[in-house]
Amino acid sequence: MSDRHSGRMNGHAIVHRILIDPTLGVLALLVIFAVGAAILLPVFYAGNNLLNLVGSSITVMILAIGVTVVLISGGIDLSVGAVMALSAGAAATSMRLGLPVFAAFGAAILVGILAGVVNGLLVTRVGLPDFIATLATLGFASGVLYIWTQGVPIIGYMTPEFRLVGGLQPVFGQVTLPMIIALALALIVGWVLSSTSLGTRYFAVGSNPVAARQSGIRVRWVKTQAYMLSGTCAAIAGIILAGRNNNVPADLGTGYEIQAISAAIIGGASLMGGRGRVLGAVLGAITLALAINIINLVGVPSSFQKIVIGAILLLAVFANFVSDRVRSAALRRRATHFSSNVA
Amino acid sequence: MKTSTAVSRLMGTPGLPMTIILIVAVIVFQLLNPIFLTPGALSSYLTNAMPILLLTLGSAIVIIGGGIDLSVGTVAGLSAGTTMWALVAGAPLWVGILVGCVTGLGFGLLNGILVAVFRINDFIATLATLNIAAGLLVVLSQATLLQGVTDEGFAALTRGDVFGIPISFVVAAGIFVLAHLLISKTVTGRRMYAIGISAEAANVAGVSVARSRMFTFVISGLLAGVAGVFLASRLGAVQAFLGIGYEFTAIAGAVVGGIALAGGAGSVWAALIGGLFLATVQQGLRLNNVDPVYFSIVTALAIVFGVIFDRQVRRVLLRGALARTAAALVDRDASSAPASAGRESKEEVR
Amino acid sequence: MADDPNLPSADVVPVLEARGVTKHYDGVTALDDAHLSVQRGEIHALLGGNGAGKSTLIGIISGANKADLGTILLDGEPITAAGPQATILAGVSTIYQELSLVPALSALDNIFLGRELHRRVLGISVVSDRRRMEETVRELASDFGIASHELHTPVSEFGALKKRSIEIVKALAFDPKVLILDEPTSGLEDAERVSLFEYMRTLRERNVGLVWVTHHLEELVGLADRATIFRDGRNAGTVEVANTSIDQFLTYMFGDQRDEFGAGDTRHLNRLTPLDDAPIVLSARGLNRGSVVRDVSFDVHEGEVIGLAGLAGAGRTEVVRTLMGLDRLTSGTIEVDGRRITPRSSTAAYRAGLAMLPEDRKQLGILADLSIAANISLSRLRTVTWARFWVSARRERALAERYRTRLGIKTPTVTARIGNLSGGNQQKAIVARCLNTSPRLLIFDEPTQGIDVSAKVDVHALIRHHAADGGAAILIASELEELLELSHRVLVLKKGRIVGEIRDIPKSIAAGHFAEIKSKVLALSAAGSAA
Repeated sequence: MSDRHSGRMNGHAIVHRILIDPTLGVLALLVIFAVGAAILLPVFYAGNNLLNLVGSSITVMILAIGVTVVLISGGIDLSVGAVMALSAGAAATSMRLGLPVFAAFGAAILVGILAGVVNGLLVTRVGLPDFIATLATLGFASGVLYIWTQGVPIIGYMTPEFRLVGGLQPVFGQVTLPMIIALALALIVGWVLSSTSLGTRYFAVGSNPVAARQSGIRVRWVKTQAYMLSGTCAAIAGIILAGRNNNVPADLGTGYEIQAISAAIIGGASLMGGRGRVLGAVLGAITLALAINIINLVGVPSSFQKIVIGAILLLAVFANFVSDRVRSAALRRRATHFSSNVA
Repeated sequence: MKTSTAVSRLMGTPGLPMTIILIVAVIVFQLLNPIFLTPGALSSYLTNAMPILLLTLGSAIVIIGGGIDLSVGTVAGLSAGTTMWALVAGAPLWVGILVGCVTGLGFGLLNGILVAVFRINDFIATLATLNIAAGLLVVLSQATLLQGVTDEGFAALTRGDVFGIPISFVVAAGIFVLAHLLISKTVTGRRMYAIGISAEAANVAGVSVARSRMFTFVISGLLAGVAGVFLASRLGAVQAFLGIGYEFTAIAGAVVGGIALAGGAGSVWAALIGGLFLATVQQGLRLNNVDPVYFSIVTALAIVFGVIFDRQVRRVLLRGALARTAAALVDRDASSAPASAGRESKEEVR
Repeated sequence: MADDPNLPSADVVPVLEARGVTKHYDGVTALDDAHLSVQRGEIHALLGGNGAGKSTLIGIISGANKADLGTILLDGEPITAAGPQATILAGVSTIYQELSLVPALSALDNIFLGRELHRRVLGISVVSDRRRMEETVRELASDFGIASHELHTPVSEFGALKKRSIEIVKALAFDPKVLILDEPTSGLEDAERVSLFEYMRTLRERNVGLVWVTHHLEELVGLADRATIFRDGRNAGTVEVANTSIDQFLTYMFGDQRDEFGAGDTRHLNRLTPLDDAPIVLSARGLNRGSVVRDVSFDVHEGEVIGLAGLAGAGRTEVVRTLMGLDRLTSGTIEVDGRRITPRSSTAAYRAGLAMLPEDRKQLGILADLSIAANISLSRLRTVTWARFWVSARRERALAERYRTRLGIKTPTVTARIGNLSGGNQQKAIVARCLNTSPRLLIFDEPTQGIDVSAKVDVHALIRHHAADGGAAILIASELEELLELSHRVLVLKKGRIVGEIRDIPKSIAAGHFAEIKSKVLALSAAGSAA
């Protein structure tokens, strides 16, 4: 879809394109951050900082991919953090019970899918607004994990496989398994969105549910699928985080939902549905990690992290607002141009 | 016609079915543990419930106006922090209280500007300010020790009483009465309902949507500030994570009370009943030595079943009322099925 | 309808048949024992006034709504599977009146939405084969002015005309057995109109059964074979188009009420006296808003009703929305009674003496959950308050009661929820809301859409009274008869511009050169050549 304008683009058009194409916008932001950091902070590119940065963004990235699909289909998923933690708990507990590692992973994924089904049912059948439904699932999932762990972090489940999955042990060179998983997930979901009819339907349902229904699309089922996909992503993130963390405390997922949603929105997804890109979510997650990394390097206490995330979220929404304005103004100009030609 | 009026009255107070459930809950907990209705337990119950009731009220007002405010919890936490900070620094009591209220008001104003002026999605805007307020409290709590206020009067806000009635109860009752008058009897309240039902239609009718919307967020922020002051007084010390998750209980309270998230419907009464129900469950679990974490599960379930229950009751009532109205009106009009038909088809689309 | 001479002989199985379809919406009957029978290779027009039940029937045939009673048969077999998907797969495609495209998707994805062509990858076919999809529709699309590269452009970037064309391509792309067209020509240019009609003929030759809903009776001639007319949710008749005059159609559609409609209440409206010398109430100069309103200038005098005519998307509603401060002007000046105003908000517009009865009563007019009284008082709440702040329920009720009597709003009580009223009474309550601000200029945007005939007559009288009392009015109405009946002057808009003005409108619809004026308006709005 993006190659149709290629070629013959002057400078003005490129600037314009960056303003209206959300993915290019976030990429520009990322580059500015990275270059600024490189100039101002020599430590930025020192040692493993960059790899740590990518590593630390993986969990949010995977969550953001799922959230993006939900946003495209016109919903919102606040439960990803809690579901991630619950899935991590499921994996860790299964390991402690002596199940093989793949069964443990399977259990975690099952928990994620189940949470997605619950979200989907609450939204499409019970008729709760998306954020209330997923807020309820958040409350439920975190409550269950708390009772399950009795407030004591789950430990003693680590195996070599888990270390590998958590990225504590690189697969080759500096490349860890979570990076490969995130990359694969991004490619698969991106491909589904752009090249399959399933992807088309997510956009249709989020953009104009009435038209989608008239075209014979089962709107409820498609929305439920989006939540299931988001739940699956949360579960994968949970497995990775359990491996990375060495323990699963009850509040493992707290605050992850806002990071995931922020990343998706920075990446160009819209709460109005029908808009969003996997690449945007990936870049958004990296941008977020980069921002946090920079403020850490500058020496701002980590207690400011939440404020910064909140501010970045506001900025991202505001940028979307501005780019929408620019976009509609451009369309209006084009329309005027077109009709004055005719007249 | 009398029955029809009675039915519409009933619909006007959507909290009514919930009131019955609240009474049932009180009876059940009393049977489980006879301490429940003793004066001491009741007094502590009301003091504990008061901040959450105020937050529920704030959420309810924003929801009636067609919006959502996720920031109430952490703004209350931050307000508790700033009150504490002012008092620890030696400010007089009234200044401390004022600082807390102004903190809440400031965040309400910020939310209002973001939503009404910059037209940022209310959900995202308040999610962002939720984090900003939470972050500010962390920063504040690391900079100062938020405890050890020596002013006796401050603790008395929640422990003292007027003629045997706890002060916090008096304040809460006063606020609820004022809020009730404001939203049901004034121009401001009327416009709030109008924008909640349909901002577009209200705008066509000459209502300034931005101003009314701004107002709902400011009220919600102010209530969060007051709630924060009382939280600080009750706890005596403010932790860095105070207020996180309270928005969940507050919104749940409004929803359970029967306030439709679609906006434009609901009352102060409904908010009170919903908030009291959750507070009762919390107290009941506490008195029966149930781990407080079960509360978040119960709240989650209460939201889901509250919505289903409320809708079922209302659907039955609405159907009866419609049939009667249709029979009463000779005037027949094919294409103008009442608006509720449109609403149902919207639901189907989901 | 036993007296109907033109029913097809019983041995030909109709490709589509609706039998005894009845539908209630919460106690209101929208369709009552409706019948429709469409043959293969037939263009069958579906006619009726607003609210006659055409849209309801189409909703039921297309599977979007369920009938309370009755069956739909395709090739003589009842359609059992429910839902739009099943109906489309069974061979019934629908072009809806309101655009039903997905803005986020490309034209191509919209055309194939729900029916994508797939490429097999690893034995599963989920991958969209966009190249094959493009090849399939390229020719059809270019017939409707959609170039190949435009097929890959998101629909949100197209104007209304192109969107309509995409919708048509979407319906035609799958060789349907039955094609339902709900007002397909609204907003189309002449050339596209001709192209569409040509396609309808081609489809007829290919033995497709076409159901065609239209308000433009003049389009029927030479194209439609038969027509079924609905009135008040019931069948009024099925006729051969070739043997039926426009006048006969009107009788079928409106029955005796047509006389009532045509006779009009002319006591207060002396259109033969020009009002050009009367004081100017509203003066608009050079109004512009993007490309939807372009250089619009006009005056409205005291006692005058100005009609705005034009096709859908011509910018009629857009013009009045800028007057009301609902949309921002990019340039232009507005004066009310000689005072310059800048309506930045609807509140300011009301204060300046403007008021508007919006189109789309359900979405923009009523606040369904509020009482009738609260709906009326909303535009000027302070008149029913103490100290401009406390709403007095008693005074609010009294105000509503006054209007209830004056406008004849039929309701058991003014404290009832307005959403439970019938459309006509809802509309009267909204008129009351406007009148309550004592407006100098009252804007009526489609004031009689979807309301019954008696309420229609009442609303017409209200417009006339408002003008007779020295008020000014702007009227927008899709039904030309209605517009010409009520207006002193008619401005014709096209693509946001005023392209002509009609003066000297005859007194009554019965008068001789009425049809002539009508065709003049139609010609102007379609072709846009100078008046």
